[in-house]
Formats: sequence, structure tokens, C-alpha cells
Amino acid sequence: MAPPVRFLLALAAAFPAALANAAIPAHDMVVSVLAGPAFVVGTKSAFESGLFRRGPDGSFHHFGLDFPGTFGISVDPRDSRVFYVASLNGCLITRDGGLTWRIGTSWDMTEPQDVRVDPNSPDTVYIALPDGVAQSKDRGVTWTRRERGLPERGKYTQAIEIDRNRAGRVLAGCETGIYLTENAGRSWRRVLPTSETVTDIEQSPHDPRRWMAATQADGLVQSRDGGLTWRPVAGVPSAKCLYNVAFDPTNPRRIAVGSWTYGVLTTEDGGATWADRNAGLPAGHCVYRVGVDPDSGRLYAGVHQVSLYQSGDFGRTWTPDGLPQSRIYRFNFVPAAR
Amino acid sequence: MKATALFLFLAVGLSAATIVEPPAPVRASVAAPAARPAPLPAFSAPVPPRTIVQDADTRRAAYLARVGEVLAWKAKLADIRFPVTFDASAVCAKLARREDPAVCSRRVIELMKNPGTGPFWMFPAVGMAYLGRDQLSPEAKAAIRAAWGSVMQVRGDTENHWAMYYTSLYLMAQLYPNEPGSSWYTGKSSEENLAEARDYLVHWMDITTTIGQGEFNPTGYITEYAIPMLFLATWARDPAMRIRGRMTLDWLFADLAANTLNGELRGSNARTVDASVVEHWRDHASFYSWLLFGNIPPNPSFGGFGVYFASAAANYELPEVIYRIAVDRDGDYVQRDLKRTRRRWRHSDVLAAPIYKTSYMRRNYAVGSYQGGVADPIQTHTWDVTWAVPDPRGVTNTMFSMHPVSSPYDLQTYFAESPDSMIPAMVAERKPTYDLPDKFLGSSRFERVFQDRDTVIALYDIPPGTRFPHINGFFSKFLSGVTQDKSGWIFARGGNAYLAYRPLAAYEWRPTPKGDRRLYSPHLKNGTIVQAADAGEFADLAAFGRAIAALRLAYSLEPVPTVSMRTLRGRDVVFTYGRTPVVDGVPVDYSKWKLYEGPYLNAEKGSRRLTITHGSLRRVLDFNTLTISDSVTSGR
Repeated sequence: MAPPVRFLLALAAAFPAALANAAIPAHDMVVSVLAGPAFVVGTKSAFESGLFRRGPDGSFHHFGLDFPGTFGISVDPRDSRVFYVASLNGCLITRDGGLTWRIGTSWDMTEPQDVRVDPNSPDTVYIALPDGVAQSKDRGVTWTRRERGLPERGKYTQAIEIDRNRAGRVLAGCETGIYLTENAGRSWRRVLPTSETVTDIEQSPHDPRRWMAATQADGLVQSRDGGLTWRPVAGVPSAKCLYNVAFDPTNPRRIAVGSWTYGVLTTEDGGATWADRNAGLPAGHCVYRVGVDPDSGRLYAGVHQVSLYQSGDFGRTWTPDGLPQSRIYRFNFVPAAR
Repeated sequence: MKATALFLFLAVGLSAATIVEPPAPVRASVAAPAARPAPLPAFSAPVPPRTIVQDADTRRAAYLARVGEVLAWKAKLADIRFPVTFDASAVCAKLARREDPAVCSRRVIELMKNPGTGPFWMFPAVGMAYLGRDQLSPEAKAAIRAAWGSVMQVRGDTENHWAMYYTSLYLMAQLYPNEPGSSWYTGKSSEENLAEARDYLVHWMDITTTIGQGEFNPTGYITEYAIPMLFLATWARDPAMRIRGRMTLDWLFADLAANTLNGELRGSNARTVDASVVEHWRDHASFYSWLLFGNIPPNPSFGGFGVYFASAAANYELPEVIYRIAVDRDGDYVQRDLKRTRRRWRHSDVLAAPIYKTSYMRRNYAVGSYQGGVADPIQTHTWDVTWAVPDPRGVTNTMFSMHPVSSPYDLQTYFAESPDSMIPAMVAERKPTYDLPDKFLGSSRFERVFQDRDTVIALYDIPPGTRFPHINGFFSKFLSGVTQDKSGWIFARGGNAYLAYRPLAAYEWRPTPKGDRRLYSPHLKNGTIVQAADAGEFADLAAFGRAIAALRLAYSLEPVPTVSMRTLRGRDVVFTYGRTPVVDGVPVDYSKWKLYEGPYLNAEKGSRRLTITHGSLRRVLDFNTLTISDSVTSGR
């Protein structure tokens, strides 16, 4: 028996509560969901949509607004009650865990697709808009367009990601490519041209210089130098849209990609080879999003208007996991509520 | 024109317009009381006489009588025992009639227990709140107010959504001033809500009056602009916002008047639906023509939403100059307008591309188009010829061709959406024909159109691999004398119009579910020429056909479709797909296209100023100074 285990058992004998706490995941799973059939403006849905938090028993509980158009989510690292939600109405903000909300933006910023709190400067928040990028430096109270260097046209922005290690570095996934700012949005430059929209950008939790981006028509691309240069990832098809990419925080060799057409693709060797992991998912795939639990390494796939699926073996087997008939826009793993 | 001459003109027109005998029109069934048969509601009653009402007081009285009919019809249907009959529009109708306030209060409280979300819930709630200010119980008023704090309202992503959303938010914030953000779903204070709503509405009016409306001439969505603008004109306390509402209503209705043929909205428009693209009468525009001009039956059940407009309609008075444009025309006219596309998020060099719209109006038919391409990705209608009929109900009195499009690329151009789920979502979102090849609804990136008076040339260059690689031509069952001539033209008569349709590629006929016919032409490089004429211009259809067949016509489809022809009106037109049309050797200069240009509506691009003219009457809507100026030209 390895010493650490012996130590834990001894600790458990002395302090049972300590072991119990050790088993509690560090993160809560929060998802943004459109539940039920496609939403039609002007109709009243029978389904609750918006944000759902996974409880200890594995079930999902709606919290906050019942709202059909919530997309990206970001949480203030200093206070997990502060949520920023990219939504049909603009950037929605709660500072009390969802009890009360404010539409942080005005009429001139609509339908942000993504939102990110800057971990280096958590008063600063970015939103990805259909017509560019905006930034707030005061926790979402006021917003300013930050688009110098973005093209006048072609700046539809689907994804935004902030370099957690180097302040002021942000990458934006736009219609015409990946754009980088190194001065907190004061100017941008294109670091990768694409033929269609960049759908997701992620920074590796293991290597801050490694980034990956999913695209609509240019496959999966990666950077090993902090987003300065990008190369296609071999073995991942590019003819159809890839919706997102997710690193496994528990294992640097595991990465997953979600796609409507290709379903779930995974690598377990750091991206050298990729496998189709759709056995056990509904026919047709229609995967809208994948996510990896940072505590357990469990892989999740949102199958469009069917269900959430989960896999304990990184996609080899799948089981339905709640949220029936849903469209899952984002998986977020936020510091657990205590 | 003197009144007697007007009546003579009209009498001749009506007499000549009785040739077509349509099938029995579709009638909506309305339960009649047992004791004494009630008069039929206007949508089931005979067509109103198309006489011009000269006297202003009589016109006003007739308008108010129609308003009263709508409210009485709805109020009578409302039965508190059957909640489905007692919806928000019934509450508005009763409150407008100042009847049953206690029952209305009870019903409001019930309705507010489960508030809806979005602009289609918001404006009815505003109607109830304002109409009920001095009638509803304190509890009912409190229930309405509370609902605006409890449910996040969806703003939507469309021009009509925002017009309704921000007008509603503006008026509710005005009704409940000085209240904190915690009491509003927005999280913003009354003053913040009011300011944001005002800013958007001013912005929208600004772009509409400078580069044109995006959802231009909508057959159904007109109601989703008319209602909020009427509410704004009626209830805004700020005089500037009140007059803005009033002026925008005039603007909308002037546009409607100039684009209707006996009350039927026809020609190109940004948004319509499957039913009304072929049966133009069947949509909300007919309700407004009936209510304002009195020259057409309203659509069934007054379009439903018509009740909301009626509930405040006494506060609007249609200017005589607009009325006369709709009902009192003294000749053929060409109207050219500038509009804009829906905003393009992707795939475009511009946020909103210009729409160059042409309308040619005659007594017995009208031709309308824009230059092709996509104005709105789902429901745009690019061009048609429509002929006048005595009773438009159930009559598909139109002819056009189109390329049916089902394209994630097009949808992504206009929507912040991902590519794969959009088409199923469209089909689920009450656009069931979006992905059907035999539809007649929609516009195409691969269509280019040119119109010169009553000649339309539509050219298609559809890339290989395009879903639905064919064009559909609509041939109404109400056409008579349809003849496929050896010249390649198809001749037909619609009412008192003669129509010639020239397919530029091989075709076959396909039936439609309602007995019309679809000209199906499965060729990627393709085209349609339509030439119309008044039946009175020729001895008979055969003579018209001979005249058309004798016109000089040369065309080719490779490498791109091109047509060179002399029109029936003697113009030499050269039109090549993707190139500027040339008329009598002169290229059409779209850069000089004005916001409005015609005998009735005139505005310079960027001007914020519309001049509405009819005979000696003139009204100027000036959004720069927020003034409405009426004048009468002496000596005419």
C-alpha cells in the first residue's frame, strides 16, 4: 500500500469528515441549455431553459433565469456567485448566484455568443459579438467596443479565450480567422486566416503555450507558441463543422472534439492520433458540445435535442445523463458551491 | 380631377373588372346568435364598394365604424367561462369599449400569472396596461406591473421584434417611472429602460428614413410595426416620441398605399408567408387596407392582431393624401424605392445591402420587383405580376418565378447560428416549407431581376451542387386561356390583364396542392421573362400573343444568362446576369436611386424627409425637425 493511501486511511480514522470532504468534487458542472424543441420568439415554451447546475446526486437543477437564449458562460474567479452569460438579449450578469440579473449591455450589443472574464484582471470581461468584440473593465457595468485591427467586415465573433498566464493576451475566433490582442483589446492582428467561422478556442490547462481551435470549415488547428502560429491537426476531418474542442484537465494526453457530422472525436496521445467515439451515441451524432469534468476526467457530449451523454472511459462507452431534448451550448465547471 | 370625372373613371374600371369569376371565396365561420342574425363580419361580408369617399367627416366616420366593428366582434367572442376566447386582445377590445372592467381585471390577473416572453407578449400587455389605466382594478394593474419584473423578456433578433420590444419597454418604463432596477426584468431602472428604448427607436427610425426599412412592405409583419407605432403615437408623453410614432405610422401607411392594388399588397416585399405569397389578400396588410382605405375585405379574424391596433385606432387619423394614393389614382405610375436587406452578420462586405425596388401600377394589374439576391433569408418575395380581381378572397391572382433556397450559408449570413441545426430549427419555427423544393416562398442569391414598367426579366445562375437546383414558376388556376405558343412564350389572361411568360430553359408542369400549377425547370442557368399588358390594349389574347411573339428577343444561357429584347413598351433592354442592365443603350444607374421616387412618394437618400403628394395635397414628414407639414397647392 502506498504511503499516501495509508496516510489518508489514518486520517479518515482520526477525522472522518476530512475524508468525506476530500471526495467532494472541486467543481460544479453548470451548463447553458435550450430545452425542448426549437424556440420561437413569441411562444411560451413548456420547458425551462437557461442555466442548470448538477447536484450531488447527478441530477440537474435549473437556476436563475428561465431564458431560451443563453450561450457562453463565465464566472468571476474571485466569486463564484458572479456569472456573466452571453445571451440573445446581450450580456446577462448576476452577482448573487442567479437570484437577480441585469442585462449588462444595451441595444447596440446583441446576441453575444461567448463571454470571458479575464483571470488576470477579473474586473475585465470580454464578449464575442456578431459584429465584433466588446470589453468591460468594470465588471460589466459599462462596455466599449474593442475592434481596432479587426476587419470592418468579417469580424463576426463566435469564441473568445483569454491567456491565463500572460495578461492582456486574448484570442478571438471570428468569421475570417483567429485574431490576437496582446494589449487587452487595444489592437488586434490576425494570426490565422480561415475560410469560415472559428467556432471555439481553448488554451490547454497543462501547457499554457498550447492552444487549439475548432473551425467551421478549416478543421482543428493548434498553436504551440501561445497562439502566434497555427497548424492544422492531422487526423481530424475538416469538410464539416467542428463545434468545439475540450482538453481533459486530468490528463494532458486526452482531448475531445464535438461535431454535428463527425460526432465525438478523441485523442489519448496528445493529438497524434484520433478516434471516432460515437458507439453508444444516437445515430446521426448531432453533437453540439463536448466537455470534460476537471475533477473526474469524465467526458460529456450534448446530443442536439436528444440528451446529455456521459462517458467514464473517454468515449468508448456512453450512457444518457439527463437534460432530455436539450441543446447544450456550453459546459462550465465552476468552483463548487459550498 | 373633378369628382364627376373620378366617379366616371371608377365606374368604367369596376365595370371592366367583372370578367373573372373566381370560385367561392373562403369564408371564416362565426357563430351567430340564435335570436337575430348578426351582420357578417367584414372578412366574410361582400367586398366593400370601391367608391372614393370625398367628405372628410364621412371618411372618418367610416374608419371609426370599422374600428368599432373589430372591437365589437372581438368583445362579443370573449366569454370569461372559456379562457381561450378571453385573451389579451379580448381584454384590449373590451377596455377600448369601456365595458366589463371587473371581468377584465379578473382576466388580467389570470393572464399575468403566467407571463409570456418576448415582444409578442409585451405589446399586448402594454395595451392592457394603458387602456386599463382608469378601468382595471389596482390588483390587476399590480399584476401587470409585477410581470415586468418577474420574467426575462426575449428581445429577439429581428427588426419587427425590436420595434415591438423597445416600444413596449419604453411605454411601460414611462408608466412606472422612478422604479429601481430590481423591479424590472432588465435589472435596469425605469429611467435606464426608457433611455435605452428611446435610443433604439430613434436609431431605427433614423436608418429607416435614410437608407430604407429592412423588413420592407411586409404582408404580415406590417402589423408588428403598425401596432407599436400607434401605441407610441398614442401614449408617449414625450412630444418628440409621440410625433415620431405618428410620423412613422404615416410613413408605413403611405408605403402601403402606394404598393396596393385595390388594397392588395403585391410586388416585392421583405417578408411574406406561403399562403399570401400566392394569395396576397390573405395577410395583415389587407386588414390595414380595409381599415384605412376601406377598399378590400380584411383578412380572416382581422388578422388577430388587428384587434390591438383597433383598440387604440381612434387616436390615429389617416391623412387624406395617403387615402387618395390608395384609392384615387389618375393614371399608371412607376414608383422606385430604396430599402435595405436584413443585417448581415457574415458573408458580406456590407452590414445591410441596398434593395432597389420598382413598382409599376396600373388599374388592372401591377408589376413589382427588386434587383434580386437575398433581402431576408427566409420569406422574401422578389417579384410578381398581380392582376386586379373583384374579390381577392381565395384568389391566387399572381404570377412569378423563383429559385427555392434552403441554405445554411444564407441562414448564417443573417443569423448568429451554427450551420447544422438551422434548417431543422427553421422548419420547427413555423417556416415548414423552408426546406421543400416545391415552395414558392423565398429569395435567392442566384437570381437577378430587372424590371422596366411591365416587363420583368429574372435570370438565374445556380451553382452546381446547390440544394434544389431548379426554378419554380407560379401559374394560378385563375388564369384563363393559358397557351404554350410555338414561339416559346406562354400566354394567359388574368382578370383584365394579358400575361406573357417566357421560360428560357426547358420545363415541365407540376401540380400544386391547391390546384394551381408549378412550372418546374431543372436547369441551373435559367431565366424568365414576363410581359404584361392591359386587356384593353389588344383585340384579344391572340392579338396580344402575336405582338409579344413579334418582339425582338435574343438570349443565351452560357456562360451566364443574358437577354436582349425590345419590350412591349418599345424599350431595348440588355440584361446579363451579374451585370448592370442597359436600357436603350444607357446603363441603369443604381447609385442615383432615391429613397422614394414617383408621383406620390418622394424622398432623397439620407434625407429623413418624405414628401407625400396626391393632386393638390401634400404632406411632408420631416424627421430632422420632427414636423408634419400639410399644404394644398392652389390652382390645381
